[in-house]
Parts: sequence; C-alpha cells; structure tokens
Amino acid sequence: MGKDNGETKHNGMTRRDFVKISTTVAAALGGAAALTLPSRAQAADTQTAPASKKFLIVDQKKCAGCMSCMLACSMVHEGSSNLSSARIQIIDDSFAEFPNDVEIAVCRQCADPACYYACPLQDKALCIDPKTGVRYINKKECIGCRKCIEACHFTPSRISFNLKHKVALKCDMCQDTPFWKQTGKQACVEVCPQNAIKFTSEQPCGHKEYNVNMRGQGWAKLGLPTD
Amino acid sequence: MYLCTGKILRVNLTTRKISTLSTSDYKEWLGGHGLAVALFFDLVKAKSVGAFDPGNTLVIAPSYFSGSLVPAACRTEMVGIQAQSYPYEWFTRTNVGGRFANMCKYAGFDAIVLEGAAEKPTWINIVDSDVELVDATNLWGLDTVDTQKVIFKNVIGSAGYGKWRATKKGETIQRPAVLTIGPAGENRSRLGTVMTDMGNAFGQGGFGGVWGSKNLKAISVLGTGSVEVANPDELMQARIWAEKNYGADVDNPRINAWQEFITSHFGGHPNRGWAPYDQQRRASGCTGCHLNCRPRTSSGYGNESICVDALYYQNWDLSKHGKITEITGYAADLAQRLGINSFELHTELAYLKALYDKGVLGRGMKIDTDLPFEKIGEAEFIQQLLTQIAYRKGIGNDIAEGIPRAAQRWGRYREDTESGIMAAMFWGYPVHYDTRAEVYWGYASIVGARDINCHDFNVPAYWMPSLDIPAKKTPIVTAEQVAKWVGEMPPYHDPEMMNFATSNIYSVHMARTTAWLLHYSTFWKQTCGLCDNAFADFVNPYGPNNRGITPEGELKFFKAATGRKISFEESLEMGRKMHNLSKAIWTLQGRHRDMEVFPDYVFSVDTEGTSYVPGEPPSYYMPTKENGKWDYRNVVPRHLDRKKFEEWKTRYYELEGWDPKTGWQKEKVLKDLGLDKAASELKATGKLK
Ligand code: SF4
Ligand code: SF4
Repeated sequence: MGKDNGETKHNGMTRRDFVKISTTVAAALGGAAALTLPSRAQAADTQTAPASKKFLIVDQKKCAGCMSCMLACSMVHEGSSNLSSARIQIIDDSFAEFPNDVEIAVCRQCADPACYYACPLQDKALCIDPKTGVRYINKKECIGCRKCIEACHFTPSRISFNLKHKVALKCDMCQDTPFWKQTGKQACVEVCPQNAIKFTSEQPCGHKEYNVNMRGQGWAKLGLPTD
Repeated sequence: MYLCTGKILRVNLTTRKISTLSTSDYKEWLGGHGLAVALFFDLVKAKSVGAFDPGNTLVIAPSYFSGSLVPAACRTEMVGIQAQSYPYEWFTRTNVGGRFANMCKYAGFDAIVLEGAAEKPTWINIVDSDVELVDATNLWGLDTVDTQKVIFKNVIGSAGYGKWRATKKGETIQRPAVLTIGPAGENRSRLGTVMTDMGNAFGQGGFGGVWGSKNLKAISVLGTGSVEVANPDELMQARIWAEKNYGADVDNPRINAWQEFITSHFGGHPNRGWAPYDQQRRASGCTGCHLNCRPRTSSGYGNESICVDALYYQNWDLSKHGKITEITGYAADLAQRLGINSFELHTELAYLKALYDKGVLGRGMKIDTDLPFEKIGEAEFIQQLLTQIAYRKGIGNDIAEGIPRAAQRWGRYREDTESGIMAAMFWGYPVHYDTRAEVYWGYASIVGARDINCHDFNVPAYWMPSLDIPAKKTPIVTAEQVAKWVGEMPPYHDPEMMNFATSNIYSVHMARTTAWLLHYSTFWKQTCGLCDNAFADFVNPYGPNNRGITPEGELKFFKAATGRKISFEESLEMGRKMHNLSKAIWTLQGRHRDMEVFPDYVFSVDTEGTSYVPGEPPSYYMPTKENGKWDYRNVVPRHLDRKKFEEWKTRYYELEGWDPKTGWQKEKVLKDLGLDKAASELKATGKLK
C-alpha cells in the first residue's frame, strides 16, 4: 500500500529549491544570460556584503506545520494576524507522507544577499544593519518594485509583498517589532511550541546547517523519530 | 470590532442569491457557536423541518478567537437540524479543526449561512470576499481527498502550491481550506461527515448527508486578509506565558501512565497512543495550535486521524494479526476519504459482529449480507463494509441510516437496546463515556442533542485515575485536590460536583456538574473556539503544582484579544444564555421532558468498565467521597435507577430555572437573559411557562 507523493526532497533540499538554484546556475553559466546583461543578483559574487550575526535554523521534521510562527511574525510586525504578512512561511500538505509534508520557508540572512544587491535603493530600502549585519527592509523607503522578491535565491521567495501598501516584507530577525515589547528575541522562536526554530549567531553554511536535527531523547519519549 | 471581519455571508442555494449581513448586528454573540445559533434562530422561521428538507438552514461560523494568536482556537462550528440523532432529528452543533476557521476569516467572513438546496451539484468558491457558486458535476463521486486536490488546482492555478500568487487584495503562497463531503454524504448517509484536509471532520450530526441533500459538495476559502486584536503585545505575552508555564515541553516531556494515552489538556502533546500504526512520525497541528496532536505517517495512511478515527479498526487488526499493522491506518484513511463517521463505526462493528456471532446476520441469514466476517481485521472486510455504507449497497443501505435506524429496519431495536448489545446511549449516538459510571456525560448529552463530547472533567475524573491506578501509579493530583479546584469555579463553588459515589449521582451537585459543563463549553470552546483537546484544563503536569491553566488562561486571552475584561462568572453566564437559545429551539422542535430518557439497558444492565492493564480486572476509577473521605474509587459495576434519574432531571431543570413538569423554559428566565425573541416565539406556540 502506498500513497502518491507530495514534492520529494533531494539531499535534504526540496525540488522547488533545487529547480530554482539549478536555473540560476545554468543562467550564470552563460545559457540564457548570454543574451542579456547579467542582473545584479547574478553579479552577486562581485559584491561583498558584511556578514549577518543573526540567523534562524530550523528542524523541518520537528515542525508541526501549525503556522503559529507565521501568526506571531505578522502580529509583532503588523499588529494583526495575517498569513500573507508573515516573513516566515509554512508549506503544509495534509495528504503527503512524512517527511515530505511540511516545509519551513525562512529567510537565511544569506552571506550572499541577492535581495540586497537587487534593490535599486540599496542601503535605503533594503538595508544591512551596521551592528548586527541583519538584512532588513525599511518600509518607508521601499518603492515596491519587487526586485528583491525576484532576486531571492529560494522558492517561494523569502520576501513577501503587501499589495495594499505596495511594500516588500522581509525577516528582520525581529529587530523592529512595533507591536511587541521585547529586546533581542524572535517572535517565531518564542512562540514555536515544538522548539523547531532556533536563533544562532554562528553563520550556518549550506542547506544542512540551516536545517538541523533538534530532536533529542525527549522527542523519542513521545514516540517520535529522532533520525 | 476586534476578531471579526464584519461580514456574514448568506447563500441561498435554491435561488443562487448571494448576500451579506453585518456582524455588528450580532455583536453580543461574538462568533462561532454563539453567532451561529443566533443567526439560525433569526433566519429560520420553521424550526421543526426535517434534516433533509431544503428548509433546513446550516450556519458555519469560525470561532471568535480563530485567526488570532490564541492557541488551539482554529475551530469552526456548524449548526442546523441534524440527521444523526434518533428517534428525533434535533437541532445541534458540530465542530472541526484544521485550517478552515482562520482562512474563512482571512477570506472575509465571520460566518456562512447556507439556505435552500441547489438544483445540481455545486461548490462554493470564496477568495478574498469574492463568492462564486460553481458547478460540481465533475467533483460529484470523488472522495474527500481527490475533491480537495481538484479544488486546490482550480483555485491556485498552474503556479502550484508554495508559490506567491496575487488575489485581488493580497498575495499568498497558501492554498485554500476546503470543506467537502465524500460519497457517503452525497448518498445522504446519516453517518456522512464534512471533511477538511486529511483528518479533520465535522463528524457528529450526519451533516455530510445534509450537505448531500442540498447538492452541496464543497466550500473553499482562501484569503489574504487580517484578524485584528485589541492588544497585540498583550496577546503575544499571554501566548508565551501560557506555553512556558502550561504547555508541554516536547524536549523534556513529563509522562505518567495516563499521558501515554490521553492528551486532552493544555499541556497535552503528540502521543503514540493516539495512532500507533506505522509509528507516528510527525506531530502536526491545526493553525495556531500549541499542542499539535495529529500524527502524520511515513506511509501517509491515517494522516491527521487521532483517537477513535485512527483507532476504530485497531483491535480487529490486532486480534487478526497479533500486532497493529498498517491496515489500521488504511481503515482510518478510507473512512476519511469516503466521509463516514468513524465514531459510529467504532461501536457499530462490535454490534454487527455480535449479530453475526448470534447467527442473525451473515450469508443467507435473516439479515442477509455478503460481507466476509471471517475476514474482519483484514483490509478487505473494512473496504467492503465502508464501500457498502458509502454507496448504500447491501446492508450498507441500512447502516447508512445509522445503527439505531438500521436496527429498527431489522426489527431488532427493542430487543437489542434492552440487552445493550446495541450500545446506543443518548439520542441514538453510540456510548462514549458510559453514563452508568461517568453520569454527567450522559446527562449533558440527553438534556442536549448529541453525544456531548466535552472532556473538561473527563481527564481528571476518569482518565487519570483509571489509567494510573490499575498501572500501580499514583495520580499526580489527589481526588480531594481535583474536587477542591473544581470547587473553586463559579458560579457554584461546589467540590461535591466531583463526587461520583452512587449516593451523589442523582443530586443537585451532579446537576451543577452538568450545567457547568454545558455553560463553560458553550462559551469558551464552542463560541470562543478553544479546542476540547486543550480546555478546560484542571490538571496539567506542566502547571504549578500540577494545576491547569483554567480559568486564568481563558480570561487572559479574552482580555488581550478583545480589550474587554470579563470575569469567569460572566463568561459562564454568557454560555448559559447561548445554551438557553439552543434549548428554545429544541422546545420549538417539540422537545418535552418525557423524551429525555436513556435506552432501557442503562437502567437494567451493569457497566463493568474497561481493563487497560493486561491481567487487571475491568474498572472505572473516579473521585468519590465516602464517610467524609475523598479518594479515587472504582464506581462499577453500576447501572442507573430510572426513578432517581427522573428526580435528577427535576433538580437539573430547577437549577436552570426551567419548568420541571415539561422541561420548558420560563418567561422570566429568558427575559432576564435578554432572550425576548425566543420568549415570544415560544409563547406563540404555547411552550413557555
Ligand atoms: S511554529 Fe514551529 S511548529 Fe509551528 S509551523 Fe512554525 S516552525 Fe513549525
Ligand atoms: S525572526 Fe522575526 S521577522 Fe524573522 S521570521 Fe521570525 S518572527 Fe518573522
């Protein structure tokens, strides 16, 4: 007995990630790109951005797909719950087999921030915090051109768009939470009931270091898999 | 208005007219159940129509707290005339989790009113307040999973799930939340459920069959809107406070014997006891939940099915194969796909097998069936049984009417309810927690209109002692302490509400237990939407001194989300008001005190309890007070006394301020509650005291 698969993952990377990155690489290698000038995103390696000191790492197998992180993210930034305003997105498929049923789509505060390079108002709209290196969007300056959304390495783009106010919305590691009085915490980390999102100040390297196993003996006690 | 979108959608399936009402006209009813009952009362003039009559109006309402950050609150209520109860089709409620409640509000609606019946199969597509009635001919006949998949494709388009797409109002990567019926509902089965995602059902009430009678296949909601709350910071703090002080610590769980199996409290957690086949792999949650009780498996079978829907075939599988196999998960999946109420299947299987063993049912027998009973426990048997029910083939045509009606058709109802081999206990619903032991469960069900299914007292008063004591463990809270905590609750402040000694089960204390359960549940769970799997929370191994979050948590969430500070007493009073409105509807349908009775076996046959520990005799441990001393004691074997039960009813009606002779409401009570409309409607029919 078997059921049809949802999106399968390859080497811990989703097919969506894989296709998007493969396309980017193919373009950079001269296929389609040969016809046009390389975009700023493709020219990323020619720029250097100061490193971030704040990152989120996640455990995709521990996540419950409950979207509490999304509701909290929107709540602390916008003052209301709204799935579309969440800077972290959960893709949850009831019908798929574990572990292909859930994907946490979270901003990686990339070492190579394509969004930052793509922004026509670099350092005004898409900014890098000089102290923490966090890549964030200054809503007041954002002109809603969507270049950052298109440039993001991942699918879905880790940057969302508020259609009403025509601004892009991006994870700022909760440095600016007008609707939540706190210092130095992340709403998603605090609210996640599964402890499936963690903060780290160490730059993770590659998919494997952003997606880690946070399931220990306690998890095993619940009869849930730790491998 | 915080927590509300401001609009109620009204769809007339007969005339295809789509209109809206303003939520502000129903402000006092908040949302969820309260709002749904109020809308039903106002919009339905002929309240005594049959379940399958086009005049039966259904109201679907996301809970008041849904869409916000309040934990375990993504619940949706549906009310209307049910098809399941026997012998009368009472007005009732049913409730579902998943993603629907939040998404419905983000799509712009606080409730959906469904009137009339469509001429041909129809589904309703709602995207950011745009509403369209769509031909469902291509969906009719599909199971609940395939229906959802087709609708997802239709709504999302070619971009696929997980890609940004624009609606008129916003952008989303999410897919719609869809309520749908399967073949059982299409064929007007009284066991028909309305499903959403894989394992979430409007299970009780037979509303799948009602949808089928309306030619309504599905409702899909997708929204990019927001739910506003009064104080976002306060709500964030309340949520974090609740999780840190009362939520399970999944990295360091505290597990006693009872928690291996039962998670129904705020500190509950995903648990292998709920779905042991194929190892439970992911703990998955409804939107915004902190508890995440639903399993997802590596085979995909039984995804999101918990408790009885996951387990109804388990023992048959176990006795056939000597272990629990994937067949248990397959059976769970099949019931969800066909849209069949697995709670009824659970007891139904034992009944059918008993008739088979008696030589009454089987090949060439009086109740002739080709079902291969020798293969019970195998996939083949359950596949054939469920298919026959869903498509009304063979004896499936009788069973699709629900077991009491099937027994009636087979001429067995009287005999089998006297002996109790047919375990229908309240309004034809199968026994859940046994009235003969856990009396208030049956009392609340019989003065209501369905299996009450409220586990508020059930965890501290039954599961904890009944699993711990036979396993030679000491419950983490004493019987006296449980009684003390319950005794702190307004409005009764009565520890004797937890005394289940035979000397106390017909007392005014047990009337209070019943009334408290109904009023609390109506307000906090069915209206505000706190999940029954998390609330009320009296005993919680993560709380200070093992004390649960009730009532502090409920009040904190209410205050943060609405900006209104209410007392716990006021909340119960609002629950009382809402419950009285349902009661008025039952009276208008013809309810009289004389109808509120259990089947004969409840008054003549003892319940023995259950044995959970191999080698231990069956038992039913509950808090009791004997000779002034509280303890957990075995309360079975026990059956109820008919005369004393009638005396209990009198005490209960008097407690509610109703007329003890008829069970009808009194004008003063209704007017004091502000239910003047109900009072005048009852008066016009001569049913007001
Ligand atoms: S809050 Fe945690 S468990 Fe829930 S969806 Fe987000 S990451 Fe997953
Ligand atoms: S760190 Fe803050 S901004 Fe980033 S995803 Fe989490 S809640 Fe949203």
